[in-house]
Amino acid sequence: MSDLPVERDDTVPAETDKAPRLRRTPLLPEAGAAGASLTAVIAVICFLAALSLTGFYSVSKAAQDWTADLRGSITIQVKGSNVEQIAAETADVIAFLEGREGILTAEALSREQAGALLEPWLGRGNLPASLPVPGIIAVKVAPSLRGELDALSDDIGQVAPNAIVDDHGAWNASLAASARVIQIFAFCVFLLIMGAVCTVIIFAARAGLAANREVVDVLHLVGATDKFIAKEVQRRFLILGLRGSVLGVAAAALAVVAAVLVMGGTVANNYFLPSFSTDSGLFIWLLVVPLLTCLVAAWSARTTVLKTLEKRF
Amino acid sequence: MEPIAEFSMTGLSYDGQMDVLKDVNLVIRNGDFRFLTGPSGAGKTSLLKLIYLAQMPTAGKLSLFGQDVRDMAREDQPAIRRRIGVVFQEFRLLDHLTAFENVALPMRVAGVNQLDYRQDVTELLTWVGLGRKMDALPPTLSGGEKQRVALARALVAKPDLILADEPTGNVDPIMGERIMRLLVELNRLGTAVIVATHDLALVRRMKKNILRLKDGNLTLHGPLKDPVPDKPATPEAPADEAATQSLERRIS
Repeated sequence: MSDLPVERDDTVPAETDKAPRLRRTPLLPEAGAAGASLTAVIAVICFLAALSLTGFYSVSKAAQDWTADLRGSITIQVKGSNVEQIAAETADVIAFLEGREGILTAEALSREQAGALLEPWLGRGNLPASLPVPGIIAVKVAPSLRGELDALSDDIGQVAPNAIVDDHGAWNASLAASARVIQIFAFCVFLLIMGAVCTVIIFAARAGLAANREVVDVLHLVGATDKFIAKEVQRRFLILGLRGSVLGVAAAALAVVAAVLVMGGTVANNYFLPSFSTDSGLFIWLLVVPLLTCLVAAWSARTTVLKTLEKRF
Repeated sequence: MEPIAEFSMTGLSYDGQMDVLKDVNLVIRNGDFRFLTGPSGAGKTSLLKLIYLAQMPTAGKLSLFGQDVRDMAREDQPAIRRRIGVVFQEFRLLDHLTAFENVALPMRVAGVNQLDYRQDVTELLTWVGLGRKMDALPPTLSGGEKQRVALARALVAKPDLILADEPTGNVDPIMGERIMRLLVELNRLGTAVIVATHDLALVRRMKKNILRLKDGNLTLHGPLKDPVPDKPATPEAPADEAATQSLERRIS
């Protein structure tokens, strides 16, 4: 026997052969470059998803702020053909409002302020003293008064027949409607993007199975169930999805921060971009993206693998 | 006890074309050792594929462990496959897993805890003489080493039947002989073995019953007679005594 060039270690008794340390190498080989590009695709998709979600959130927030502002105020306009009469009625309305329950403040616009509003049409300093500019009273009301505006309007009519109460209802409604349209739009974009994740993963899972056909055959041969193989693939795409989505969302968060910094103080910033002090909620919302991406990725991979195995293996 | 495999008038044809196997009648029982011989393309691999459920018969009946394969749900197949170990000419190891992990694969897919099979895998690799190469990746191993890893993998789940398709085809003659000795040893311990080969010299030396396939027809024969007295070219013991005994204890 000693003259045989065999490769075995007769010198080593069984007891001294140390079992290797415990570990679990993934059963499907690493995807390598394909895995990297898939991660990149998912990162880009999640970047867009995060932006659409930011849009959704900002519009919701802005609409809420605007309507809350409008709901808390009414405007009373006193019309007339005579400057003195307008001033008198305006003073009457203010006197009537003061001390009434639910009225927080009532302030008449001065003639100079009214003139400033008319500047685009008349030019600066061109307001004739005799021009009967309507009196405008900005009133802040408590929310509790909201339901009694009709009664209030009637009472004001008694005090000043030429006063018109505007509760901004029309504005409010159209603003809310436009905001809703934008919200629905942003949400649909978000859903479509998640659909894209699903499609990409289905494609990749199928390609992965085809590329690893021999490995899958060996796994079947040694008694692996389809569910076992699906679990292996699922774990793979879960990790891939997590990596891609965290990258994408982090990039989107940076982009939003950069936009806020660049546009700081502009109108766009005030109305359309989230602000860090008040909108930390947005960043919690953004966590939805990686969570949902991982769920979608794992679920699509699992379903695809189970279906493909049944059909082709 | 029901036979491991029972073919009755079993036929196989791919895509309804020419018959690869015709009216095969065969019973494999516990402890059987059979050589499956015949020219290339005679259907040896196809016959084995039927047994490890990589193919379904297109005619007749095939029962494995008393279950008709055509009544078997897809979910029931893995349990049957776990009772059958297969060794291929081209090894079919997973190149990114170590020798240890390759051998452990059947246990891992069966959901067995690592701590419970660690000892078995170590013992088996020692038995096939690879105790020092447990952490090696297959591409770094020789043909003979790969085939012994494959054999250990086929054995780890303590199957009732070992199928070997040209197991000596890609290894040098001496290693081929050693692998055959391991299979014989295993059979002596009670496992049924079917070895497909066209190496008639090997068949002659082993003196086992023969299944011969020709053009899809199967015939049964006794051991081949020695044309010349056997050369004492075979190694005696397949592995060290202690390892064999521990294997014996595990199997029985």
